Amino acid sequence: MKARILDRRDVLKIVDQLKDQGYEVIAPFTGLGRDTFFDTVTDENRDRIQIHLPNPYYPPKRLVLPQMERTMKAKMENGGLKIEPTYNEPRIAIFGIRSCDLAGIYHLDRFYLGRDFTDIYYEKHRKNLFLVNVACTDKNLDISDECFCPCADTGPAARDHFDLQLMDLGDEFMAVAGSSAGEALFQSPIFRKGTKEHIEKRHDILDDVRKHFKTATSWFSATVRYVSQGEIIDKTFEEIGNRCLECGACTYVCPACTCFTVTDRKVGENEIERVRMWDACALSGFTRMAGGHNPRKATHDRRNRRFFRKLAHYFIQRELSMACVGCGRCHVACHGDVGMPSTVEIIRRATTENK
Amino acid sequence: MSPTTTENIYVPKTAIIDRITDNIEDVKTFYWHFEDPAAQAEFKKFRPGQFAQVSLFGIGEFPLSLPPSPTEEEVFFTCRTVGTCSAALHKLKAGDRFAVRGPYGNGFPMEDYYGKSLVFVAGGIGLIPLRSCIIYAMAHREKFDKIQIYYGSKSPKELMYMADLAEWTKSAGVECSLTVDRSAEGWDGNVGVVGSLFKKPGVTVPVDNTKAFVCGPPIMFRFVIKDLLELGFQESNIVSTMERYMKCGVGKCGHCCIGVAYVCMDGPVFTYEQIKKLGEKI
Repeated sequence: MKARILDRRDVLKIVDQLKDQGYEVIAPFTGLGRDTFFDTVTDENRDRIQIHLPNPYYPPKRLVLPQMERTMKAKMENGGLKIEPTYNEPRIAIFGIRSCDLAGIYHLDRFYLGRDFTDIYYEKHRKNLFLVNVACTDKNLDISDECFCPCADTGPAARDHFDLQLMDLGDEFMAVAGSSAGEALFQSPIFRKGTKEHIEKRHDILDDVRKHFKTATSWFSATVRYVSQGEIIDKTFEEIGNRCLECGACTYVCPACTCFTVTDRKVGENEIERVRMWDACALSGFTRMAGGHNPRKATHDRRNRRFFRKLAHYFIQRELSMACVGCGRCHVACHGDVGMPSTVEIIRRATTENK
Repeated sequence: MSPTTTENIYVPKTAIIDRITDNIEDVKTFYWHFEDPAAQAEFKKFRPGQFAQVSLFGIGEFPLSLPPSPTEEEVFFTCRTVGTCSAALHKLKAGDRFAVRGPYGNGFPMEDYYGKSLVFVAGGIGLIPLRSCIIYAMAHREKFDKIQIYYGSKSPKELMYMADLAEWTKSAGVECSLTVDRSAEGWDGNVGVVGSLFKKPGVTVPVDNTKAFVCGPPIMFRFVIKDLLELGFQESNIVSTMERYMKCGVGKCGHCCIGVAYVCMDGPVFTYEQIKKLGEKI
């Protein structure tokens, strides 16, 4: 991987470069209060792009897997039935994606593009996606109380899966190219070669940042083992299930959740469109079959499902990537306090107290 | 990323209903063919035990098991009205168009069963997914040892596929025993749960080098498994097919997971040994 140095005042010129290449650039902004979000960069808001800020509440997942997307249209005419797929093929660059969300997109890649079938709708969104990762180095702004990426091994600075990675070294930024498209940007005169000192500085910053994560989930890997071996007793998941309000928020804010549902809707005389949208395993209808039988009737069975899918070794091996990236969003969103870190803690308590 | 040449796995192909036959109350069989003959030929390569995704645009899409055997000429679905989609399917008439994609799922590994005895145990409409395997085995009769069918339903008028049952009962190559939970006028056959057939005088269920196939309502499933284990069957020699709510059929939507398995990809055919190891209650 090639690395270059650029001045702090030139960082947003990368956004301009990408816009010139025809990308719709999405970047993080702050709204009122602590509100943070991804939005399209325009001439008007370009200077308000935040390099350091708490990770936006909603992950950039919607840019590759829209919350709702039409997949096909069907027209019924003169007794015939004509079915036509419909595609979106955007050209998007995400500037300022955090390392955890990058790992989220990588997980979606593994899931939707890998295995026996390739998902063409995902592929079309992903094909032209350009990812500019910003390493989390500001311990006050970048790192929230809920973050636990060091435990999930996704951050604070991603090792790969980006096109370009930026890291704040103070007056300067270090840019690392992760793809040939990323490297091509280095032709701009804003980039210059770095020195050994820059690399040392990078290491020092990351070493320091790692000390500032507050959410203790050192039991994460142990929990993976317990979940995989089915060692967690039912009572533990009942306790977790009792605290679940079945809102589905944990899945909607999760950068690595993949489940969707499909529904048809009428859009005109004899014309139907089929749309797919995010679904949540927390909802009781998720597994309910025609006729009413529901194999996952109890709330705790559904909680069990979510954490099994995220943490079981079998799935980690199957996708070669874990479905939890340590962003901590479920922890923020959950009103019952059974996001990932709390669940790991409950499991830790249950296992240590039972032994 | 490589340039896109990906096939769209979600778009179904138009199919036309040829004729519809009534089976039992609320259950109909729909004979159909694809509008495009090439699609029909491609689809006909399905294996027993696989399923298809059926689309009724404006209503929805749902999985249906494939009761025909690939050795048969016609393709059909047998479906009971239980929900919105199946009710809409039942409203279709011959000549109506709908859409199908598939076949999906693992299906029965028929080659692995060559040289073995096959014991089919079905309850109610549980015969639908097993029919494919039975017909296939009968069509390749010389490849299998004994073939036995034990089939039970609530009452005589709820016995599925009467024409097939009549043929199997008469056929020399297969032993077919029927039973009903509650007798009715005109029924002079067995009365009792399907497991009771194993204990009838004159019945010998082969156990060695035998595969047992179980499909039916959950309560029947539990008791028949118990009976088979008592007879001495290994858990790996008991085979069943699972059903789950499904949206995609291709391992993406996440609805059909049971523990580590995607029913649409790793199933719907599982051995009892596998079912026990899925990591989630069924």
